[in-house]
Amino acid sequence: MNLASIIDGHDGASIALIEDGRRVSYAELRERVAAMRAHFGSMGLGLGDHVAVACGNEIHFVVATLGALGAGCVVAPINPYSPINELKRKVAPLDARCIVIGAVARDMLDHADEFDAPLIDMKTVADSADAPSSVLDVDPDHLAFLLSTSGVSGTPKIAMLSHNNLAWVQQSIVGDGPQQLRADDVSLAVLPPAHILGLNLVILSALRAGGAVVLQHRFDVDESLRLVSEHQVTMIVGAPPMWQRWAAADAPADAMASVRFARSGAASLPADVYERLRTHCGVEVRQGYGLTESSAALATGRGLDVRVTSVGKPLPGVEMVLVDDDGEPVDIGDIGEVVVRAPSVFKGYLNDPEATASILTDDGWLWTGDVGLFDDDGYLYLVDRVKDIIIVSGFNVYPAEVEDVLMEHPNVRGALVVGGAHGATGETVIAHISGDVSVEDLAEFASSQLSRYKRPTEYHIVEELPQTAAGKRLRRELRK
Amino acid sequence: MSKGAKFLFESAPDLPGNERVSQYGLALIRSVVSGLWNVTVEGVENVPREGPAVITPNHLSFCDSIFVPYALPRRAWAIGKGEYMDDWKTKHLFPAFGMIPVDRTGGKAAMDALDTAAKVLDGGHLFMIYPEGTRSRSGNLHKGRTGAARLAARCDAPIIPVGHVGTLDVQPPGEFMMKPRKDVTVRFGVPMWARDFGDPDDPRVKRKFTDAVMFEIAALSGQDYVHTYAGDKTAAIEESATRPTAPSQVVPTMPTKLASRQHRVKDVVAATDVVDPGLPPSVVTAGPATAPTKPTRPTKPTRPTRPGS
Repeated sequence: MNLASIIDGHDGASIALIEDGRRVSYAELRERVAAMRAHFGSMGLGLGDHVAVACGNEIHFVVATLGALGAGCVVAPINPYSPINELKRKVAPLDARCIVIGAVARDMLDHADEFDAPLIDMKTVADSADAPSSVLDVDPDHLAFLLSTSGVSGTPKIAMLSHNNLAWVQQSIVGDGPQQLRADDVSLAVLPPAHILGLNLVILSALRAGGAVVLQHRFDVDESLRLVSEHQVTMIVGAPPMWQRWAAADAPADAMASVRFARSGAASLPADVYERLRTHCGVEVRQGYGLTESSAALATGRGLDVRVTSVGKPLPGVEMVLVDDDGEPVDIGDIGEVVVRAPSVFKGYLNDPEATASILTDDGWLWTGDVGLFDDDGYLYLVDRVKDIIIVSGFNVYPAEVEDVLMEHPNVRGALVVGGAHGATGETVIAHISGDVSVEDLAEFASSQLSRYKRPTEYHIVEELPQTAAGKRLRRELRK
Repeated sequence: MSKGAKFLFESAPDLPGNERVSQYGLALIRSVVSGLWNVTVEGVENVPREGPAVITPNHLSFCDSIFVPYALPRRAWAIGKGEYMDDWKTKHLFPAFGMIPVDRTGGKAAMDALDTAAKVLDGGHLFMIYPEGTRSRSGNLHKGRTGAARLAARCDAPIIPVGHVGTLDVQPPGEFMMKPRKDVTVRFGVPMWARDFGDPDDPRVKRKFTDAVMFEIAALSGQDYVHTYAGDKTAAIEESATRPTAPSQVVPTMPTKLASRQHRVKDVVAATDVVDPGLPPSVVTAGPATAPTKPTRPTKPTRPTRPGS
């Protein structure tokens, strides 16, 4: 098998990619990918060679990625918007044989001599005419992608994902069913392609379905709404901050009328944002759950009755167990760490067996570090991260719960809660708050809303709270 | 020796147990208890004199089931093993003392127990349940099972947290005889309502409510709290009652553990009476969408090694 073959078999005249008004049909895409594959071959690249791809949501990304995969190479997408020093740090551990540069990363060309691997400018490659070669058939477990995953845990790591890992998730999304992605769907690619959601759930799944992908380089709320309307987009996958912006946008009620799949991932979608999107924009956003280490989707709300705070049910084929501190399954309705086994679970971290062994067992169980619970109907609800749990007098305090309560205070803009050492209770709850509010107000509010052991004993009023671009809370920054 | 609270015999002809046997039996037990032990009752004003409430004590000794009802100002009912009904010695006596027999070996035992308890509460009576599910052998207070919270939410009844001290001295584990002339203190906390902990339809609320109740019990009993279940979970697994609807299925499987994580040695005790039977384990295997194959039983997950754990 080879993931590069996902563009084969579709109607050649159908549109595959749309970027700034440029349209690429499947026939043209196949030609350009074949030429790119041949180009890599002419460079002496082949099975197992690492190729870094510094592109945004652009045609070049798709051509370079599928070209490299087809040649048997392993693709490492990197975010081209990072500052040059960060790009150097990201590329260094990849052991890349070359770095492909798209339109948005051309600044890197000025620093070509600072990288160990040669830079390939897609602008010039596009004009070259190498003799095409066929797609290399690889073992399903052969590596396809190296994805940087900083997540919220801190140390950046590089997840190794196989052709089969990603294909399994794509196959669960693509199909003929009413809830599946089809050839007549139009997807909006606005999440970065270096992120597993943007890469696998959006671009690659849409191409496997034979649908069209509208590529937006960077998120801009008005421009994205214009694209949705102009191209009659049917599928949007966004991160909560994007949905928040769309919900708040001054757009006509039918701005998203064409959308039949609205998905949110990467972080928890606030209930009020869901509600506003439903009532104001007419879209019911379904949440899902997955990790880079599981090639994205493990659970999805697709096709289910909406339970706003749930991330849906495990995908067919996913074994999911919630366990307590002793590794024993907890009761249904009780909170435990999410442990999964699925064909989409990754092969480990690049050159880091210790980090791999810390979350993946030899027989394929992935200990996600997320804590959640199932309701009686099998819907999964995420509660927090294992490492963030604060233990006060033996009782678990989930920072997200305390943060959500504090956020209900009308003058609180943001809240991050971490644990601190405490002589009598082991740990204590410390809250960092942004907003125009006094410590006394907060303490009074907390005492009316939270059980005694969950109430913060320290408040720090700050200007800004750290979070990732995808909206994940960065508590580790406050623990430093 | 101090007396328990002023006791009101509450008629409940719809519930199991002969009323007359119950009235005389309880009077006899109360008189024996007050004669043999020094029982101090605190916070009894927190127990409503009428209407439903869920009484949730810590559980250390078999005799907790004598001292907590003794300290209550009203009759209370609890779930007991169906097997008691097979023995002529207990068949009439235990129901008269408030035990409602439920067959706990069937597939829907946990739901039967909850339905029975709901009937007690809907009738405006007190229902007693040990939220730890079984006796604590460590002496610590263990993680509460969510049955009491489910019941309280379902029947719109308050939970009265109860912490007691001294019953272990009266009847240590494994001893049949109760030692007289010991001090026992039973403390009742203020009523707690599910609605104060969020939307009762949000499944996270039950755990939140349960933890808050356990925190109050710990404060009342003075026990240290440990966030693990007391006793053996096998019984709860066998009693699997609620199953997620298709496509997910509940199967009693376990992931492999991470080699590096430290595991506590758990105390394993047999399930006793009047316990929260718990619910099936949170294990979901979703079968393939097309051509479903016979589900295989996944092996127990292994644990990876976590640095610094």
